[in-house]
Amino acid sequence: MNPVEVLETIFREFPYAVYGSMLVGIACAFLGVHIVAKRVVFLGAVLTQVSVLGLTITFLPFVAIPHTVGALAATLVTVIIISRLLTGKKIPRDAVLGVVFVTSVTARLLIMQKTPRVEVAEVENLLRGDILFVTPELFFLMLAGFAVALAVHLLFFKEFTFVTFDADTAAAQGYRAGVWELVFYLIAGMVISLATHMVGDLFVFGFLVVPAVTAMLLSRSVKWIFLISVFIGVVAPIIGLYTAFLLDVPASPAIVGVASVGLGAAWLWGLAGLTPRRQPH
Amino acid sequence: MTSQPLIRLEHATLAYGRNTVLRDITLSIHRGDYVGLVGPNGAGKTTLLRAILGTLLPRTGSRTAQRSDGTPLRFGYVPQRDSIESVLPYTASDVVMMGRYRQIGFLHFPGKKEREMVLHALRQVGMDALAGKVFRDLSGGQKQRVLIARALASEPDVLILDEPTNGMDLASRAAILGLIDALHKQEGLTILMVSHLMDDVVNHVERLAIVERDFFQIGDVAEILTGSQLSALYGVPVKVDHVGGHVVVTVGGSDEPR
Repeated sequence: MNPVEVLETIFREFPYAVYGSMLVGIACAFLGVHIVAKRVVFLGAVLTQVSVLGLTITFLPFVAIPHTVGALAATLVTVIIISRLLTGKKIPRDAVLGVVFVTSVTARLLIMQKTPRVEVAEVENLLRGDILFVTPELFFLMLAGFAVALAVHLLFFKEFTFVTFDADTAAAQGYRAGVWELVFYLIAGMVISLATHMVGDLFVFGFLVVPAVTAMLLSRSVKWIFLISVFIGVVAPIIGLYTAFLLDVPASPAIVGVASVGLGAAWLWGLAGLTPRRQPH
Repeated sequence: MTSQPLIRLEHATLAYGRNTVLRDITLSIHRGDYVGLVGPNGAGKTTLLRAILGTLLPRTGSRTAQRSDGTPLRFGYVPQRDSIESVLPYTASDVVMMGRYRQIGFLHFPGKKEREMVLHALRQVGMDALAGKVFRDLSGGQKQRVLIARALASEPDVLILDEPTNGMDLASRAAILGLIDALHKQEGLTILMVSHLMDDVVNHVERLAIVERDFFQIGDVAEILTGSQLSALYGVPVKVDHVGGHVVVTVGGSDEPR
């Protein structure tokens, strides 16, 4: 099979895997620029674990709520609790995130011991990411979630930009910095939770970091950083799925691997002196 | 002064949680004032600044900050430039545009008028030629000018500068202080400058406020600035001299008659 035939087969046999991974790729790559800019990269790893914890809770025999609702509820409640701590100065951000990460993983492992064995395997599948079996329901839910996130970010880009760049001055100008931070983290939590449920934690965390960093290595314009990051979010999943099909390897690691190769190439590009550099003033 | 003050704190107690930082603070800032706020590190300058800006409400006492027509005061705040470490490569003009965001309002986007105002603000501080440069790549003095331009772009009633010359070399310090003086003299801007560098403040401002945990005083520079006052405040002998029309504050002596 030539590459075009392989891609045609993938698009025909697994349409929601392709469109779903592209959707998550775009959403996480876009959000990732903000997350890297806010210096809360570890937030992605933490919220994916919180989301999986929420999902695990729904496997308990006495909890009768849908998996997506459980994952979303756990993430949003966690975000509300930690958003104040993340903007405060009493405890370092990474310490806050570290505590939440450890607590989530520990709680998940303990809860999994109390669930029926077959469902433990199901939880493990979700952790690895089951891109090939994305359901239409999850895809459209993610699409709606991303549409909300994008709309909020476009409509309030001024507020998010100002509060991220200089929260003290934004507050002095009358912005309620804490409220805008909470809105940002709620939106991030929603996207991360839905995306984790859909494609797994590796894919989500990878795309919250790798495309944004690659774009920052390649451009010195804020607009182009967003555009390049989103472009990687579109292209890397297609190449990754093609690679997975060709090499017969799992889809999620293949997709994140392709994005990481791109990051390596961008770094070498910079070393070769081809990236726009700081100009003397 | 008899006019209604722009900012007034009356018997204000300022605290974070259970930690009371300043007690019984009373001060007024009028339109056209040029006030310096000095005090040792950790004395409560930033706390007082936050109360003036309205981001910290007094535990007891009151704060008013309004124009003569009763509308809310607009502050142009210039933070310590070291507090800003942007990961994203915003240009000088992007940063100054942030000063316009409040006036642009929710759900509206910057237009031609805003872009012209940004350019005007950059021109006021002599940075229009560097409008397209990335902010994080600028020198300390250039960054400070951009932050002042951002404050000016908000069309402020009061310009508040927090340690504007901190960490600068002599030439940059003189240039920034000259710029602030010019904004006061030529534009008639009301200015409050916070600094722990006594020399920077006393040779430029018209009124001086000295803050320490259990001590607060505000008045004309000549009236406040005495060796005994500063010695008591800093806990070391301080001497105040006048050399060539400039006030020089030195540690290790006293200007009091022996």
